[in-house]
Parts: sequence; C-alpha cells; structure tokens
Amino acid sequence: MTVKVHFRLEDLLVEAPAGTPLQRIADAAGADITFGCRTGSCGTCRVRVVEGLEQCSDPGPEERDFLKGLEAPADQRLACQVTILGDVAIDYLGL
Amino acid sequence: MTTLETTLREKVLLLDGGMGTQIFARKPTVEDYGGAALEGCVDLLTERRPQWIREIHESYLNAGADAVETNTFGANPLVLGDFGLSAKAYDLNVQAASIAKAVARSFDRPRFVIGSVGPGTKLISLGHVSYADLLASYRVQMDGLLDGGADAILIETCQDLGQIKVAVRAAREAMAAKKRRVPLWVQATVETTGTLLVGSDISAVLTSVEPLGIDVLGLNCGTGPDEMHAHLQTLAETSPFAISCLPNAGLPENRGGQVVYPLAPEPFVQKVLHAASEFGIAILGGCCGTTPEHVRALAPGVEKLNPPKRTPTLERSAASLYQSVALKQEPAPLIVGERTNANGSKKFRDLLAAEDWDGMITLAKEQQREGAHLLDLCVAYVGRDEVRDADELLSRLISQITLPLMIDSTEFPVIERALQRSPGKCVINSINFEDGDAKARAILELCRTYGAAVVALTIDERGMAKTREQKLEVAQRLHALAVGEYGLDPGDLIIDPLTFTLGSGDEEFRKSAIETLEALKLIKAQLPGVMTILGVSNVSFGLNPASRHVLNALMLYHGVKHGLDMAIFNASKVIPVAKIDPEDRKIVEDLIFDRRSEGYDPLKALLARFSSRKTAAVDEHRADLPVLERLHRGILDGEKQAILADVDEALRDHDPLKLINEVLLGAMKVVGERFGSGEMQLPFVLESAEAMKAAIKHIEPHLPRESNYQKGRILLATVKGDVHDIGKNLVDIILSNNGFEVRNLGIKQPIEAILKELEAWPAEAIGLSGLLVKSTVIMKENLHFMEDLGLKVPVILGGAALTRDYVEGDCRRSYSGAVFYAADAFEGLRHMQALVSGETDVPAVAPAASAAGEITVLHRGGASVPLTEKGQSSWVRHDAPVPRPPFWGVRELAEAPVELFEHLDAFALIRNRWGFSQGSQSDETFAAVLRDKAVPQLVRWKERLATDPIFQPRARYGYFPVRAEGDALRVFDPSDPKRSLALLAFPRQATGRRLCITDFFSAEQTDVLALQLVTLGQAAADHAARLYREDGYGDYFAFHGLATELTEAYAERLHARIRRELGIHAKDLPGRALFAQGYQGSRYSYGYPACPDLEGNGPILDLLQGSTIGVSLSDSHQMDPEYTTSALVAWHPQARYFSV
Repeated sequence: MTVKVHFRLEDLLVEAPAGTPLQRIADAAGADITFGCRTGSCGTCRVRVVEGLEQCSDPGPEERDFLKGLEAPADQRLACQVTILGDVAIDYLGL
Repeated sequence: MTTLETTLREKVLLLDGGMGTQIFARKPTVEDYGGAALEGCVDLLTERRPQWIREIHESYLNAGADAVETNTFGANPLVLGDFGLSAKAYDLNVQAASIAKAVARSFDRPRFVIGSVGPGTKLISLGHVSYADLLASYRVQMDGLLDGGADAILIETCQDLGQIKVAVRAAREAMAAKKRRVPLWVQATVETTGTLLVGSDISAVLTSVEPLGIDVLGLNCGTGPDEMHAHLQTLAETSPFAISCLPNAGLPENRGGQVVYPLAPEPFVQKVLHAASEFGIAILGGCCGTTPEHVRALAPGVEKLNPPKRTPTLERSAASLYQSVALKQEPAPLIVGERTNANGSKKFRDLLAAEDWDGMITLAKEQQREGAHLLDLCVAYVGRDEVRDADELLSRLISQITLPLMIDSTEFPVIERALQRSPGKCVINSINFEDGDAKARAILELCRTYGAAVVALTIDERGMAKTREQKLEVAQRLHALAVGEYGLDPGDLIIDPLTFTLGSGDEEFRKSAIETLEALKLIKAQLPGVMTILGVSNVSFGLNPASRHVLNALMLYHGVKHGLDMAIFNASKVIPVAKIDPEDRKIVEDLIFDRRSEGYDPLKALLARFSSRKTAAVDEHRADLPVLERLHRGILDGEKQAILADVDEALRDHDPLKLINEVLLGAMKVVGERFGSGEMQLPFVLESAEAMKAAIKHIEPHLPRESNYQKGRILLATVKGDVHDIGKNLVDIILSNNGFEVRNLGIKQPIEAILKELEAWPAEAIGLSGLLVKSTVIMKENLHFMEDLGLKVPVILGGAALTRDYVEGDCRRSYSGAVFYAADAFEGLRHMQALVSGETDVPAVAPAASAAGEITVLHRGGASVPLTEKGQSSWVRHDAPVPRPPFWGVRELAEAPVELFEHLDAFALIRNRWGFSQGSQSDETFAAVLRDKAVPQLVRWKERLATDPIFQPRARYGYFPVRAEGDALRVFDPSDPKRSLALLAFPRQATGRRLCITDFFSAEQTDVLALQLVTLGQAAADHAARLYREDGYGDYFAFHGLATELTEAYAERLHARIRRELGIHAKDLPGRALFAQGYQGSRYSYGYPACPDLEGNGPILDLLQGSTIGVSLSDSHQMDPEYTTSALVAWHPQARYFSV
C-alpha cells in the first residue's frame, strides 16, 4: 500500500510505501524541511499536520514530552519522529 | 508630657543625617585622636573633641531634625578593644548620650536623643564571636546609653541577623535591670545584592525580630533611597512595626580616588519623600553622605506628612539565616524533614558517631532538595555530649542550609545552645505537661528570649491524651500558658495531638487515628490561630515499608483535610494520593477509620495484600542471597563498592575465570538486553559497567597466568577531521566490559595510522566513529583505501550522521570485507560477538537506494523563487528598519557557571545527552527515574559548580557593519566602516526558496551582523579527559553531556543578550519554547544545515580575536578547547534555520 504526502509550502506531492518515516520521505523528495538533531530533542523540524493527523504514528513518550514542554497544539509533530501510515498534508513550521 | 512615642503618633519624625561624614569633614588629626594607635577611633572623639560632637548635633537640630543619634556607633567593648579601650566603653556611651541630651534640651520644642548601636566588627553568624561575649559587650553599651539619658535605643546598620537578636536581648536586659523602658529600634542594612551582608533577606529579618517585641524596624545605609524600594514595600505590607528609612545619599561613586555620594539635597529629598508616602514611613533621615543641608531640605516636606496608617499582615513564619518560611504552606502541609534526627535515622546516627559533620550537612541538604520546608534536628545520642554536638553541627550547618530549623531536644541546655547558634527564628520541639508545667515554663522563657515558636504535645500528668476531648483539654491548657501567660503569638504555638500506630492491632488504638483527626478539627476551631503538627509516620510503625508508604500518605492526606498545618515527614516519600491504587486506598482508609465488619479486618487485609510487595527495601535482604546471585545483582544495580566484598567471598569457592565468564559477563548480557528493550537507560548501564570494571580488576590478580578471558580485539578510532569522542568512548566502555580487548586510538585518526596500528596489534575488527556529516564521506573513503590495499578485516561503523541505508548500501559496495552498522554500543557488541563466534559471513550489500527508490515525487508545484537583481532570494523582504547596536566592535564577558543554568535546556540534557529515555517503562516508573535519579544528578552538578572551578565560562561577542554581496557578506571594520575586514561566503539552496544566510542582511545599506563565541575553558576539556582515563564512566558521560549543554546554554544566553541590546527581544518566548528558536532572528553555527562548512570558523575567530580567551582552531577547523561554540546572529524577522 502506498500513501501520499503533500508538503504544502512548496506544493510538493510525494508517494511512498505506508510505514515510511516522514524524515526519509522529506529527504528523498527534497522537501523544504530543516532537520536538526534528528533524534527528537531540538524541535527544528516541527510541522503541523493539516490533514490526516490520524494517519501519523502515535508520538512516543519523548516526542510527547518534548511537545508538551513547548505547549504545542495537538496537530503539531516532530517530522523526524513521525511514520506515515496514510495520506497526509504537512506545513513546515520553522519559517 | 511629650515623649518620643506620643510624637510618633502625631507626626513623621525627622532624624539627622550622617555623623561620620560630618566628623571627617573636620579632618581629624592624630593629635585629635590622641595618638597614632588611636587614629580612626571615632567614638573616642566624644571625649577628646566634645565640642565637635556638640556642633554636629546642633547643626542637625538647627536644620529641623526632631532627633539626633549619639556618636556611639562603635562604642562597645569588643570594637573599642581593637584600640585597647574596652574599659572606656561605658563612659563613652554615658558621655555621648549626655552631650546629645544637653544640646537637645537647649532647643525650645521637644528634641530627642537616639542611642546609636552599630553592628560591630565581628559577625556572630559566621562564628567570629561567641554569643556570650557579644551579649556582654552590647550590655555595657546599652547600660551607658540608658544612664546617659538616651530616649531610644537604635540598633542600626545591621548586617547580621544573629547580631540583631543579641543586641536586642542586651537592650531588653539593660532596661529590665534599670527599670527604664525606652523604645527599641532596629535598622537593617540591605546591600545592593538585596540581602544583608550575611545573606539574610528582609523577610528573614522581620520574622526573626518580630517575636522580640521591638518598636521600629527600618532600613539605613547600604544604598540610596531608590534601591530600598522593594524592601520597604515588603516591610510596608508585612511589618507590624513603624518603619524608618535613612538611606545614603545614593550609591557611592569613586571619583579620582575619593568616595563620593552623588545625591545632592534636592533629588535626595524628592526620593525620600516619595518613599515616605508610598510606603507609610514613620521616621526619616539620612545616612552616609547626607549633611545638615539634606536635613534642612527635607524638613518642610516632612512637616507636611501625616503619621502613616498601614494595615500590614504578617504570616506566622520561621526563618533561617537566609529566608523566612511561612508555617502555613499552600498547598498544606508544611513538611518538616525528619532524617536529620539521631533517634529516627540510622544513617544520621552513624554519621554523628563518626563525627562526620559534612555528611550530616549533606543529609540536611538532601532533604532541602527533596522539598522539606523545615529541618528537624536532633543530636541526642546516648553517651555523647549533646550540647557539644549541637554546637559543632550548627556552627557548620547554619550558613549552608537555607531552611529554618526545628530544634528537637528534651534537654534545656541543648535547646538554649542551639538557639544561640541559630540566627533566624527556630521552632523548639517540644513542650508538654508530663511532669507538670515547670519544664514547659523554662522552655517558653527561651521562646521569649530568643524569639522562637514551639511544638506542644498533648501530654499531661495523666499521660498521652488519647481521646479527642482529652487532646483538646490539654491543648487548651498549653494555650493558656504559652499564649495567655508567656505572651506567645498563637501562631507560634504548634499543637501536636499525637499519632499512634495502627499497625499493632491493639484494640486500644484501633480508633486512635480517628481521635487524632477529630482533635485536629476541634483544636483549629476552639483555639483560633494556633498551628497543628503530626509526626505522621508514627501511624504505620511496625508495618512493612510498602504498606507504611501508603498508610503514611493517606494519613497525611486526611490530616490536612482535618486542619493539619505541618507534618514531620520524609519529604522524598510524599506521594500524591491520586497515584495510590484504589484497592490499596480502600483498605488503608478502612484501617484509618476503623471500618471493620463481620469477617473483614482491614489490618489483616493490609498485611496480606502488602506481604510480598517490595519497595526500595530490597537491599535489606541482599545479604540473604547466595553470593553468585549477589554478584549478578551487583552488576545489574551498578554497585561498584558493594560488589568487591561479594567478589572476595565468591573467590573462595569459585574459579575466577568462571566468575568472569559466567556470572559477570552473564549479568552484563542482561544489562545489554534491558538497554535494548528500553527497560534500562544509559546512565544505569554505565554504572553497571563501572561495577564490572571494579569486579574484574579485583579478580584479575587471581587469574591463572596464561588464562585469557578476553574474547577478541577491536581497534577503535574517530575518523580524520572529527574531534567527537563520546560515542566512540561509550563503545569502548561497553565492549571492554563485555570481555573484549579494545585499543582506543582517539580522535582525528587518518586511516593510515589506524592500519599501521592494526599491523602491530592484529584485531578482529576496526570500529570507526564520527559525528559530522563529513565523517560519513571519510568513512567511505577509508573503506575504498582498505579495498585498494586488499584488506578484508571487518569494519563496524557508527555515528550520529550515519544511516543504516548508507552503511549497508554505499559503504558495503566500497569494500569487500564485512561492513556493519551499529546504531549504538550494544549493536556493536552483538556484531563483535557474532564475528568472534564465526557466525557471520560478509553481509550482502543492501539493494541500491532501497527505500528511496519507492519514494516518488508525483508533483512539484511552483517554480523556484527568483533571485533579485542583487542576487538575493526574493522570498525575504527588507522592510523592517535595521536595528542599532549599543556599540560597534568586540567585547569580552565572563560568567559564573551557575548563571548558565538559567538558559540550560534541561530536557535536552536529561533525555538526550544523559540518555534518560522512557523506552518501554510506564509513565510512573519513568517519572520516578527522572525524579530520583536524573533531577538530583542535575542539582548535584549545579551545587558542585557553584564552588568547583571546572568551568570558566568566557565569551567574546561584537557587532560588525556588513553588507550582503550575493552569496557573501562583506564585513567592515567597526572603527573604519569603509575598510573591509572579511568576506564570508555561504552556500545557497538550489531550489525552492533559494535561501542563503546573506539574504537576511541588506544589500542596499549597512546592516548589523552580531558574532559570538563562548567557551567553558580548557579546564573543562581536561576534566572530561581525566574522568575517562580514570574509569569514571558514569561521571564522564554525565559531565560531557552537561558541559555540551552548558556550552549551548551560554550561547543561548549571549544570544538573548544580543537580542536585548538590539531591541528585538519583544518576541522572546517564555520557558522551553525559547530553545526551539522562540525569538526573532536566528543564530547560525558552522557545521549545521544552513552553513555546513566548518572552515567558516576561521574568519569568525579572527574577527572576535578568539585567542584572547584561549580559543584556537584545530587543523580540521573545529574549535579548541572542547566545549566551545561560535555563531553568526541575524536579527532579520524571517531568518530561521534552513538547509542547503
């Protein structure tokens, strides 16, 4: 099964196998998302999941606690921590 | 008759100004003092130059002052003793008061004489002088002032809480002896630091002197009027006493070697009158630098003021040397730490027996950290001198602990000595009527003399009160004596209605908790204002630790609901009731409220339910385990001390080689599994490794000569151009403590050097490490190089920038030997184990770009953003005005390490650097790990850094005029803006927004670039290296993580300063959000996505002259020493991180 990821900033639509990490999709497609530590502790790659939030893997405890520390709304995720399970649309927040 | 008191009711009193200033204006000579040895003895001038003193008093009274202060600031035997004049003290005071009195009488309206008592030259709180000596010295002065006719005693310029209390006592005793009561005034000196010299804040002063029954509490000296505002405000809101305010004429300035007080009469008057009306001040005047002109200018304004009306509210509190702590805490209860008690804590008792004073202080500090508000302190130990022990301990403790003390003793001399040693306001624990009221009376007398609160137990001649009625009755009697007869404030009487154990099953005590809880309610209702306390943990005495925990927590909870204000409790054991299992809670509450029924006894249910449950008490049973099991556990628990004895014991019956191979390595295997499954975090793994190392070192001498327990060898290195050490060192630690021989070649190793070593020391594998993106390329080049030499030795690769795809694809293609990826040290260990057991062949190359191949771009919208004619991205707008820096050029800073903690990203430190991640643990378990392990570790480091100079943070930063020139920034000379200093080139995104760092600077006009460089210093790097060398794995790892994050914190702090200086700090976000670029602009460091090339560090170091703070560039363009970082700061609102 494949899924579609829409990076709205540059209107980039990418297809990938379900279960692919968003980080890998963004890297492979050259999406304009900046990754810092890639381990979920710097927050540089924060995105808003505009559509398909339920199609993202659940946050692990580290990501959950990190976002809680920033008081981030529930639709925000760390792109380096998310695996994509269905179609989603993404806004990069680091602008 | 007009007295000082009646005058104060009618008007605001105007005092005089500086005495010393006026005396020194007369330029006293050696002759004036009566000899070179007496030079500077200003108090002696009363006798030698009485006319001067008379003139000064007259000049102030002529200027309009209502009262003058005597020239007796240092006229006590202790201070005069420095001049050999102790014996003159009494006479000088009588004389000074008489002179002032005579001058005052010569004026028509009532003028008063205030007897000035200065702080002396010795700080009792720091142990410079004994209580008895200081008291005796002040007594002489008080006697003299009273006999000379002073209308009030003013204990002034106080710098030490302890000194105030002694002086007040001396004054009261002198008045009692002479049967002449005059008003008693106290004035503290709050320094620019916001505290008295010894560190007390003004609330601590108020709390401590309030029970002593003074008349005025105010401020003098130290600062000018402006700096006094916050403290005056505190007094205005909370002090029941009239307030005085005698500031200096501003903060002193040094002008050409002369100390000058800058405030002229006009501005001084304005500020003082403003403070007077704002804070309801009753007595005004001046201190250093103020003159009769200041007083004359002040007089008309003061005349117009009405006597102030305030409605202060003072919370009943206790105080340490440093701070005041309200006895009513929100949320209740106030926790009294119970572990510094020789009756209750074995650990404390042992420390006392060993006279390990520092150890006892450590225990006290632990409780402070755990959240105790007050410390119960009991040094009663049979066979020891309790007075001496109290003296020894308190003399060290009071300056190191910020919590107020509860003096827990049954011995009167111990209590008195402890009160003399403790500068703040203590609580005495305790009084009762067991043998009538004589002893209670004696202790209440101490409360009055030293200003203490007291715990009173509901025990009388009949014994301990068990019913609610009896408890109330005894409480009423205690109240009548303490409040009614001894005049204690009800809030300083703390009633303990007693807690009995519910664990005995004794029918007599089945309802004891109900009675205690109901008594709390009755006491609070019938005796308004009194406080209540319980020794809560008594309720569970005799039960096992797991059930005690829950029972104590619930007893505390219900106590608070019934009106409990304070609890003696182990602060670390406070658990939220919501976290208690509902079934546990039901049984325990049934026990507390004695809800028995046919066939159901909650005590039996509790015993059954908790019989097999364990808490932290596992260790107690350790000794019962077989020795091999103890060794196994010792490794798992990281017991590097305890394990040695177990090793010795095991060696008696076991083959040393077998011990290593089967027991110890077996335990390490479990450690690895637990780490892999997320049950165990890295810091604990390192503790296990330390225990392993200690055990092996201990066993090695017993090994047969030729025996070799080692399984194989590996050469480790960080690749060329990379200085990152930590990942490789972790691999070293894990492998070498799992039976492998490791040769660690260090950082920046060219492949030639590694291969040369391999020739001399054949190994099963080479491990290459590196953090930089560039290092992943170097690793591949190294593999090519080895391929060309025809080598086949297996290579294991690890490092943050590597991915499995890259290693198993690209890297494997480059080399025909085996290539493995290790995500962490344990994966490296598994590869090594497989290699030596011959299980692995050369693994296959992963299919080319496997995952990427399946990722397809379906649509790529909009063309890339065009560049402007100046070659900048048109996505960036240039409409905001360029901010002006406060200066151009470079400045240098230094900071205390503790200051950096304000900007420390503790989350990143604990979760990422220290490796505390939740893994598979429950939220509760992990929260406990954070609370019990991670956070205390951070607190310990912070405490240590306050005194240990490992970190010497220094920084340079500056503002440079710049202009964007396409993909480069032209940096101009700040002192000659036409001269170009450097051209900094940056990469640009190829597509999309096509950003380059230069886009955030103007190409049209001069813009401002901020550069910053911070370092923790060479000592920090040396310290890390030493820890690693000495096998302090846990410390090394923790230190490295902390140092790395503190470097970042310093950069964050300096960046915040730059934003403030540029006036763009309005968008700074609070809390942790700041660390995720929660501000305007951005901070770019070389080596990161927007400017990945480390070469850029060179020009930055040159521009900032980094060498002046010991920073240089390594041959791989990284900064030396370690724990150094530099950055370019862009102010532009659109400047954010991006990658090229």
